[in-house]
Amino acid sequence: MTGRDLVNAAVDEARRSGAEASEAYFERSEDLTIEVRDGAVENLKVAQESGVGIRIIRSGCLGFAYTSDRSWPALREAVGAALANARVSSSDPFNNLPKPPAAYAVMNLADLRLKEIPLDDKIELARRIERSGRAYDPRIRITEQAAYEESHYQVSIANSLGVSASYKGSFCGVGASLVAGADGEQQSGFGIQYSRNYAELDPEAIGREAASKAVRLLGASRLPTKRAAVVFDPYVVTNFLAVLSSALTAEAVQKGRSLFADKVGERVAAAGVTVIDDGALPGGLMSAPFDGEGVPSRRTVLIQDGKLAGFLQNSYTGAKDGLASTGNASRGSYKSTPELGSTNFYLEPGELTQEQIIKQTDEGIYLTDVMGMHTVNPISGDFSVGAAGIWIEHGELTTPVRGMVIAGNMLELLEGIDAVGRDLRFFIGKGAPTVRVARLTISGE
Amino acid sequence: MLDKSELEEILRVAQRGSDFAEVFMERTESTRIGCEARQIERVISGREQGAGIRAVHGDNTAYGYTNALDKESLLQLAGQVSRAAQAGEVSPVALQRRESPVDLPVVRRPDVTPVEDKVALVREAEESARRQDEKLLRQVTVGYADTIQQVTIANTEGVYVEDERVRCRMSVNAVAAEGTVIQTGYDSIGGTRGEELFDGEKPAELGRQAARRALLMLKARRAPAGRMAVVLSGEAGGTMVHEACGHGLEADLAQKNLSVYSGKKGAQVASELVTVVDDGTLPGRFGSFRFDDEGNPAQKTVLIDQGGLTGYMYDHITAARDGVAPTGNGRRQSFQHRPIPRMSTTYLAPGETPPEEIIRETKSGLLVRHMGGGQVNTTNGDFVFDVPEGYLIENGEVTAPVRGATLTGNGPDVLKQIDLVGSDFGFSLGICGKEGQGVPVSDAQPTIRIPSLVVGGIIEEEIAEEGEGDD
Repeated sequence: MTGRDLVNAAVDEARRSGAEASEAYFERSEDLTIEVRDGAVENLKVAQESGVGIRIIRSGCLGFAYTSDRSWPALREAVGAALANARVSSSDPFNNLPKPPAAYAVMNLADLRLKEIPLDDKIELARRIERSGRAYDPRIRITEQAAYEESHYQVSIANSLGVSASYKGSFCGVGASLVAGADGEQQSGFGIQYSRNYAELDPEAIGREAASKAVRLLGASRLPTKRAAVVFDPYVVTNFLAVLSSALTAEAVQKGRSLFADKVGERVAAAGVTVIDDGALPGGLMSAPFDGEGVPSRRTVLIQDGKLAGFLQNSYTGAKDGLASTGNASRGSYKSTPELGSTNFYLEPGELTQEQIIKQTDEGIYLTDVMGMHTVNPISGDFSVGAAGIWIEHGELTTPVRGMVIAGNMLELLEGIDAVGRDLRFFIGKGAPTVRVARLTISGE
Repeated sequence: MLDKSELEEILRVAQRGSDFAEVFMERTESTRIGCEARQIERVISGREQGAGIRAVHGDNTAYGYTNALDKESLLQLAGQVSRAAQAGEVSPVALQRRESPVDLPVVRRPDVTPVEDKVALVREAEESARRQDEKLLRQVTVGYADTIQQVTIANTEGVYVEDERVRCRMSVNAVAAEGTVIQTGYDSIGGTRGEELFDGEKPAELGRQAARRALLMLKARRAPAGRMAVVLSGEAGGTMVHEACGHGLEADLAQKNLSVYSGKKGAQVASELVTVVDDGTLPGRFGSFRFDDEGNPAQKTVLIDQGGLTGYMYDHITAARDGVAPTGNGRRQSFQHRPIPRMSTTYLAPGETPPEEIIRETKSGLLVRHMGGGQVNTTNGDFVFDVPEGYLIENGEVTAPVRGATLTGNGPDVLKQIDLVGSDFGFSLGICGKEGQGVPVSDAQPTIRIPSLVVGGIIEEEIAEEGEGDD
């Protein structure tokens, strides 16, 4: 059975078994990973995976079951398990499935030539990452990782209201993590790039980026505690955007765990700060014709020039708020129920270059690495994370620092943004330019 | 799953041109329940199966996996990972069943426990949390999960293991709010055992603890910033030893010179008061197992003995490289992953000082009674943790609770600094992530004192000034 036949058959079976509403989601992927060290392939991984998730609504109660076994008996058993699970869950009038749309956008998500490129070429690509990193500086001594990766995937969805759709996609990427050593000290740096297009991968640039990040942290020390400006590297900004994206879901608001509750229309960030989620972004790694429930993907402005414009919605939260889904039902895999999540989530770029922002900073830190982002409290917005970077004095990068802590609150941070760069860069599903926050506590000695 | 002779045939194909080949087959059945906003929102059950085959030649590993468990699919996968082009001598494989000395009994299996009973446990936790303060508790979230993982592991060295791992886990997250202040509290239990884990009103206790923490933090003041003495209470568990030292003692990182403990065997790397052990055999612990994911029995390994580094945690590949026996630390998240050296239950062994005395002897500093998540950069040893339940120590006494504290420091530096080690002992547990793989672990430690750590917080007085300026 094809994925599409499989999901349609599962929905039919659920209907026969007495489900009022049902949905089946099928996913299949094929992955390749090549890791190179010291010029040789250290790890090669080939993977094939598929499975089906069944969602049932009965008397307002939700049940879910999944199986990796595509046989008919396994599928029937999963339908039965989903129905049984619905019997012990709470009834909720807002549980619903979306109706089929008039049409889905046609998207070109797969690079069909990717599979035809010989394995040896991909291995050589991974070797080039390592070579360029090693050549960047003699102090680059260890390759923690130099890798090429690709993934091909297929998604099919059907529900009892008539949704029945599929898409295919692929992407590839290169990544490096290199270690620089000097005077008994070691520092690491990394670089990653993902694209839907093999020809766009730039292994040399990624090798150099990882190497330069490692080398520039050598000799880093801890400075005294003070309040000063913080210039966030785009990658570090995307770490904070991950926290922001979950606080900007309607689910977080409805459950009383968002710091943005009751703030629609209010100023929540400095002027010039615009945050967007766009599931249809051309070239976006998270772009797809529809979300995890079959709702068409679209562009949603969340923060417009500092003002809160709205939240991310799926069918459930939308029904509860009396609003339409924004196409943000997301699934970790066929093994999970559709929840709420961002797609291509980014901070809109401004006018300045990174150099200009640093030039205009009298004193502060150019923040290149943060540690412990998982400790950020998404509800209160309080954060206190380990920090490393380069100290800025009179507009110049001076000495590397590490082992510092940057503490504050997400709202304080958003309101404190006084410069936004033009250098928007995506790291998978999150994108950001360089950003400066006027003053934050930087703890050290 | 396949029988012995079929596995032998698959191994012979995978081994062509390589030193070593292995098949790992898995069938996992799991149930997850989620409760939020007083609703049983998610009841999810599922079955997943698959096999991973690897072929190892020198420093090269080829790994493949598939959901299919039939012989033809696995023979095809074996051919894909083998170095067929370099085909040489293939020696016959004779599998010998292995037994483990470790006993991990399961009293009530999750797969025969009605889902209604599991839902009742979740309700017990959520109601107990709510009872702590109906007004201030804004949200209570309870998560329940059980898994039964059946594995078959066979390799070209003749290892043949069939095993079943049964694990249960529950966590409670409470959110309390008063005015503009919102705080959270968390607690969890888990074990390599059946539903008996929850006996003795454990879910109610879990709910109480999570709610108590959230409510306490509402009243807490912001943590001070700067360098100070830090006392980690035994009840905080061993997250610190796991992050600050455990990861650096995993042999893959050490061999690649990616650890601050690389090449330090025999060296004094910690205070003489410090003994660190990894032990996968502790009865019922979340990080325990009979066999690791390469078919080696779990064991107790002393990593640091009175400050001296005595050994690392090994899997098959790293042990061969160092010419030592594997230590039963080759673990993987599932058939989708190749095994790598991982911790099981890692602990800092108890000392002699009564915990009360450690606090009495601390003039001023921070007491950590519950540890949050942590992260370590193994290359330079830097780590960071958050402190969900912390208190000030003033003149040898525990005083006000503080919130928002983060501990940062350097693993080797902290181990050398530790100057008091308590006679108590407490456990914590979690899912530890490394190279994109999560595995269940536990950790433990007594109360310890670190004379000087950087605590990240907020400089209160300057904030006040800024506030006035903004007005």
